[in-house]
Amino acid sequence: MDLTDFIKDFDKTIDSAMSWATDHGGLLFDLVRAALEGFFDLVTSGLLLLPYWAVALVAGAIAARSLGWKAGIATAAGLTFCQMMDLWSETVETMCLVLVSVLLAILIGAPLGILAGYRPRLSQSIDPVLDLIQTLPPYIYLLPSIAFLGYGPATAIAATVIVSVPPVIRLVAHGFRSTPVEFVELGEATGTAPRDAFLKIRLPFALPSIMAGVNQSLMMAFGMVVIAGIVGSGGLGETIYGAVRKLDIALSVNAAIAIVILTIIIDRISQSAATHRRPA
Amino acid sequence: MSSSPLLSPGDAVAPAIAWLNAHAHGLFQAISFGIETVLGAIEACLLALPATAMAALIIALVFWRQGSRMATLSALCMTVAGLSGLWTETMETVALVSLAVTISVAIAFPLGVLAARRPLLEAALRPTLDLMQTVPPWVYLIPAVMIFSLGKVPALLATVIYGIPPMLRLTILAFRQVPSELVELGAATGATTFQTLTKIEIPAARKTLLLGLNQCILLSLAMVVLAGLVGAGGLGAEVTRGLTRMEMGLGLRSGLSIVAVAIFLDRVTRRALG
Repeated sequence: MDLTDFIKDFDKTIDSAMSWATDHGGLLFDLVRAALEGFFDLVTSGLLLLPYWAVALVAGAIAARSLGWKAGIATAAGLTFCQMMDLWSETVETMCLVLVSVLLAILIGAPLGILAGYRPRLSQSIDPVLDLIQTLPPYIYLLPSIAFLGYGPATAIAATVIVSVPPVIRLVAHGFRSTPVEFVELGEATGTAPRDAFLKIRLPFALPSIMAGVNQSLMMAFGMVVIAGIVGSGGLGETIYGAVRKLDIALSVNAAIAIVILTIIIDRISQSAATHRRPA
Repeated sequence: MSSSPLLSPGDAVAPAIAWLNAHAHGLFQAISFGIETVLGAIEACLLALPATAMAALIIALVFWRQGSRMATLSALCMTVAGLSGLWTETMETVALVSLAVTISVAIAFPLGVLAARRPLLEAALRPTLDLMQTVPPWVYLIPAVMIFSLGKVPALLATVIYGIPPMLRLTILAFRQVPSELVELGAATGATTFQTLTKIEIPAARKTLLLGLNQCILLSLAMVVLAGLVGAGGLGAEVTRGLTRMEMGLGLRSGLSIVAVAIFLDRVTRRALG
């Protein structure tokens, strides 16, 4: 009946289990942490080597190519604006956190999605898990990450990968499932090798759906990366977290504007990739 | 770090907020007072019975409406929340979510009904909704905190705003999908606009409307939990404490309670879809 004793025991058990895990699996966690942080640092320092105008120009060019010249100018101007607010390195860090996490999410999600697209059975067993991941508030995914990986960007990336995997798996599977039957049959009738049937028939049809998955994954990642400021992710999320706690209105508004600019740029560019690319 | 940047829109906003706080203080205080009173009343209702009695009442209600399977699931969820020793916090979170969802729906539903009838209004709303759903949830908390400082009131306002887009979108969609023959039938039999709305359109649109409600509830829960960062109390505050002090036992208990609340709210509303 005594709930307080039960809770004390529970907390103690968890604490000792945690220390057991860090004692015995410390090497593994250190490896994961080092790998994630190393990858993140590599990408970030690479991008920060470039002057801001070079990044703004390249991003503007990409936007201009996929969305038209007005969007290109707006993109370059938006990024320049972040630089003028003195938030360039934070903006780049946030961008890298998002890109690294989504890249990992694609590496994990795409093979699973392809398998699930081919095998309805597998898809049936994955679906409830994806449902659950998407039902829970993203904030709580920071708990297991910080327990095993500690304070820092590695935790942010791990938690972000968790929330950005489900859209990739779902939409990749959807893409491969929705190849028109006639085309699959055409491939079989003409004796196309399975490899070619995959690359030349299914993949082109699946591409718009895959890109929609990448777009949604990016948006989930943005939501999470900003929240992850609390675990020392670096970037704009941490800036906002610090500013809100100190009630520094000016800085939190600036950082929020930078986040909105960055989110809109990446959303629109990835969305256009989803809608404009048509199967050959 | 903040050695005056070249451009800083925030520096223009800060005095505006200060001015608002100085001149509209009474208004903000009245809003805070109103929200806190209603919230306090809901919390008092939820905590009026001891945890076991309240849980039994909820399980009985679910059993009556949705059968034994859902009742078992609810019992499981309640047990997790109860055994975590966080029943009070759980009820605080539920109170915040219910009030926020009620206000979101009260705003989004009429607006959605109007927008479904007036394409111009919908065209005006669409880009705003797109923008609102692109912006990361954290960002909503910032203006709310600037005006209402830390606590439950900014959390509630941010949650209301965050919960409006899914409900609004699905309300518009729901009324669009009502077969036009049904509406014409109403007109032909001389039903008033109000009768058409309540007796034909809402029943026909029910499924999509409930889906909108489900989305609205889940997003609101996500926001309420996140608002633990700005002192909203409830389970979010416990997660935040677990994260910042590395108290993993507390973190796990509050995390599991949140899982229980999320699954309970999701499954019960989804089950209502039929």
